[in-house]
Amino acid sequence: MPDLPDWVRPVAEYMFKVGVKHTLEIAAISVAASAVIGVVLGTLLTVRWLPLRTLIRGYIEIWRGLPIIVTIFLMFFALPTLADETHFEALRLTALNAAIVGLSLWGSAQVAEATRGAVQSIPREQHEAAAALGFGWVGRHVHVVLPQASRRLLPPLVSLLVGIIQNSTLAQVLGVPEVLETGKREYERLQQPPPFGAGNPHAFEIYGAVLVFFFVISFPLTRLAAYLERKLV
Amino acid sequence: MTALLAAFDWDYIWAHRDELAAGLRRTLEVAALGIAGAFVIGLVLGAARAHRVPVVSQLAAAYVEIIRNTPILVQIFFLFYGLPRVSHLFQFKPFTVATLAVMVWGGAFNTENFRAGFEAVPQRYREAGLALGFSPIATFFNVTLPIGGRIALPSSINTYISVLKNTALMTAIGFPELTNVALDFVATDFRTYEMFFVLAVTYLTIVWGLSALIRALETRLAIPESR
Repeated sequence: MPDLPDWVRPVAEYMFKVGVKHTLEIAAISVAASAVIGVVLGTLLTVRWLPLRTLIRGYIEIWRGLPIIVTIFLMFFALPTLADETHFEALRLTALNAAIVGLSLWGSAQVAEATRGAVQSIPREQHEAAAALGFGWVGRHVHVVLPQASRRLLPPLVSLLVGIIQNSTLAQVLGVPEVLETGKREYERLQQPPPFGAGNPHAFEIYGAVLVFFFVISFPLTRLAAYLERKLV
Repeated sequence: MTALLAAFDWDYIWAHRDELAAGLRRTLEVAALGIAGAFVIGLVLGAARAHRVPVVSQLAAAYVEIIRNTPILVQIFFLFYGLPRVSHLFQFKPFTVATLAVMVWGGAFNTENFRAGFEAVPQRYREAGLALGFSPIATFFNVTLPIGGRIALPSSINTYISVLKNTALMTAIGFPELTNVALDFVATDFRTYEMFFVLAVTYLTIVWGLSALIRALETRLAIPESR
């Protein structure tokens, strides 16, 4: 182990203990919410009733169409204004929750679109056979169609995981102490003149480390997605 | 709800149309330069990747993997705060950083789009070109590019849409593009609904418009007989 400069240890500790924890928290909740909401909406998108389809189509196109950062700002600034007028306090989201909701809206729209494709790729006969066995619409999808569609759904879900992990950095704009924000705070702390900081800024090393951190997580996952794509689809 | 609608102030949007239009103009400028750069990078490196040009191909692969596997917001911070620490030559204005960031990002994704497009051109077409006496370069421009470029077009337009959406991230480095301008009005005058209405309508109009263009091009440019 080469000797690291004195400033590295506390910075790395803070970024790891606080930053990584928040990044993983944002990513885990957003991915879970996106997967559940997305699969339900995507499956419902294959029903024949037009008003429902139109509604879901609108949801997908809006949250996929807006830049995620705008969605996150919308959740953080517009919902509290609405809470002021409606006195519905649950709309007052913390910065962390606003980021999670914003990412989940985007993620679920992505998953819904992928699910629609996967469900429609299952041959009609499978639906008919399940119906002949006495399954209703829900049972048909839960027990017969979705398990088969899941093969096709796995690669896009892994890609979604990568997308969400990377976009979790957008929480930084609301000041949530995820990896990028903790890095920024440490870099700014070190920028202060002595005796408060080390006197020389380390933006290059710190942001370089953040890049490496995300690369080390994302690269194996994108490989995995590509492998699953070849193997399963 | 009625109070909400009554509070919506169209005049406020109208009164600030010049600032908002200036923000939109900067968004479109950065996006246009980014898209043009991403097109050139994607075309050159995509061709190098598809034809396995030694060294260039490997470097391009590394570039693509690094950009695709790191968050663009971190890339922006690295460009804006990190690189100037190495040398003052890298001390760029926010506009330059914004343009460079979306260009490099879009270029990486476009390299993959064009690589896939060029590789989808059947080998026998290229052989036919060479057999007709075209040089390898002429074969690329007369055979691989027209066919592979058409195959790559829808996915590359998708990348351009993302480039445009990513310009909104430049608010993080204080570049006054549309999102930044609108958020300033939210912060100063609390015009939350008005400003998010403007943002949503503007972004969705552009994004949906470009998506419709993809669908139109897909049918128009579909290569006959191949599908």
